[in-house]
Amino acid sequence: MIVAPRLSTILLAAVTTLVAVLLYSPLFVPIVSSFFPVARGEVDWSSPTVSTYAALAGNHEILAALRTTLVVGLCTVVLAVVSGTLLALYYHGRGAGRSLLQFIVFLPFLMPPIISGLALLIFFREIGLERSLLTVVIGHTVFVLAIVYRTVLTRLQSMSRTLVEASYDLGATKWQTFWRVILPNLSSAMIGGAILAFALSFDETMITILVTGTQTTLPVRLWAMMRLGFSPDINALVALILMFTVLLCALAARFLIPRQVATQRS
Amino acid sequence: MRSAGLARPVAIRWSPLVTALAFALPVVFVLAPLAIFLVYSFFSVDQGQIVYAPTLANYARFFTDPVFLPVFWRTIMLCLSVAAISILLAYPTAYFLTTLRGRWRYALLMLLMVPLLMSYVIKIYAIRSILGLNGFLNKALVGLGIIAEPSTLFVFNMNAILLTLTLLLIPFAILPIFLALERIPQVLLRASDDLGASSLQTFLRITLPLSLPGVASAASFVFVLAIGDFLTPQMVGGISGFTFGRILYSQFGTAFNWPFGAALSVALAMVVIAAILAGERFGRNRGASL
Repeated sequence: MIVAPRLSTILLAAVTTLVAVLLYSPLFVPIVSSFFPVARGEVDWSSPTVSTYAALAGNHEILAALRTTLVVGLCTVVLAVVSGTLLALYYHGRGAGRSLLQFIVFLPFLMPPIISGLALLIFFREIGLERSLLTVVIGHTVFVLAIVYRTVLTRLQSMSRTLVEASYDLGATKWQTFWRVILPNLSSAMIGGAILAFALSFDETMITILVTGTQTTLPVRLWAMMRLGFSPDINALVALILMFTVLLCALAARFLIPRQVATQRS
Repeated sequence: MRSAGLARPVAIRWSPLVTALAFALPVVFVLAPLAIFLVYSFFSVDQGQIVYAPTLANYARFFTDPVFLPVFWRTIMLCLSVAAISILLAYPTAYFLTTLRGRWRYALLMLLMVPLLMSYVIKIYAIRSILGLNGFLNKALVGLGIIAEPSTLFVFNMNAILLTLTLLLIPFAILPIFLALERIPQVLLRASDDLGASSLQTFLRITLPLSLPGVASAASFVFVLAIGDFLTPQMVGGISGFTFGRILYSQFGTAFNWPFGAALSVALAMVVIAAILAGERFGRNRGASL
């Protein structure tokens, strides 16, 4: 009776370990190779180096792509947060045709990126819009809009109506209530949604490949370089980006999760 | 109805102008492109120029040409296998997580989600360097004496795509299964135990059936993400690993036949919609809430 559950627990733990190893092996490769020379599947453990990180500072092509990615990400976030919040308010305010609208907003997120990307590619061609960073920003915004919208709407729906009623009782106008009561209550959801949107935009590859012009983002630049193989400084960049994204998502979790903790404290 | 509370005082009436503004962005940048895309699938190409005259030729070609349907089915089977393997690995993992207590449970869950944050392109590249003939996997297998010399079994073919997609997508299978398992009320398990069921019986007759909606969602997620991917097959598929996504992508590059590519996309969209609907239909959690 005691032995059987123990055995099953050991088996479950073994599978979990296997999954963790499988999931982390692709992360391990670039991080290790950013510190040690690697050739033909063998790591040279004898000569650790940080020269890859120094070389990165001199790789202008990659740094330019990184800068482009950040600019695209910021533009996407601003557009997605503003329109996502407005759409959430519209849905929550029982606007006409809200279910249909919600369905349209979710479409690019549900459809495979290749379909959204190709549809935009043809669309841009038909309206005569040259492929550029603008088209990339549009592509990213359409893709991440659903995330921001959903995050803000969830917060709106969990907001207590007494807050708004109290505001009206105290004589506030519609606009005062919006700016002083509703918006401050939404702010942490908006920030959390913005961080998630930025993380998605930062790594978006499939839509970007299809709608990008000559100037392009980091993932697409990396994709183009992959055929030739990477120089070691790319591994350094990847290690840094991974650290950065983990921090970013820890931040997002902080804004989205500890609501009760925050309200209890204040 | 609870959610109606806030709305009524704030937004008394939406004017048609506001409605038009709300619809403007989604309609122009989502609905219009998809509609134009659909229409494109009925056009054709003549000497590098798109002919704007309706025809069913693209669909006829898809169904009659000996190339496309077999690749289509093979890709569907490939992605079903990816979903199946992901679930076989993700289910025990998710189950193990739910046996852990409090903080450990979520810490480990987070740990298994972190790889999602890593650049997709870099992960594909890293897996490629693991799988290759001189890759880490072959080195390890030879080093451990499991095989005598490097195997070509998983070197840039369909198997490589299968392995790579599974590695990339397992986290998407763990999460829904974990959420479904976590929702199962502990009372049910204790009642089953009190009534004399063995732990295996409890698992087979209570836990497993109640977690199936999570499995359905997981399968639908992984399948949809796998079938839409054209980067992975391009990178690790070599010459023999030809998938539908790759063919579709090539219509917009080397082959330059946008209308035909649009028709292929419509076929892909049908499969994706079917998978999402199936995931919705079987992913509903019935009876697990108490």
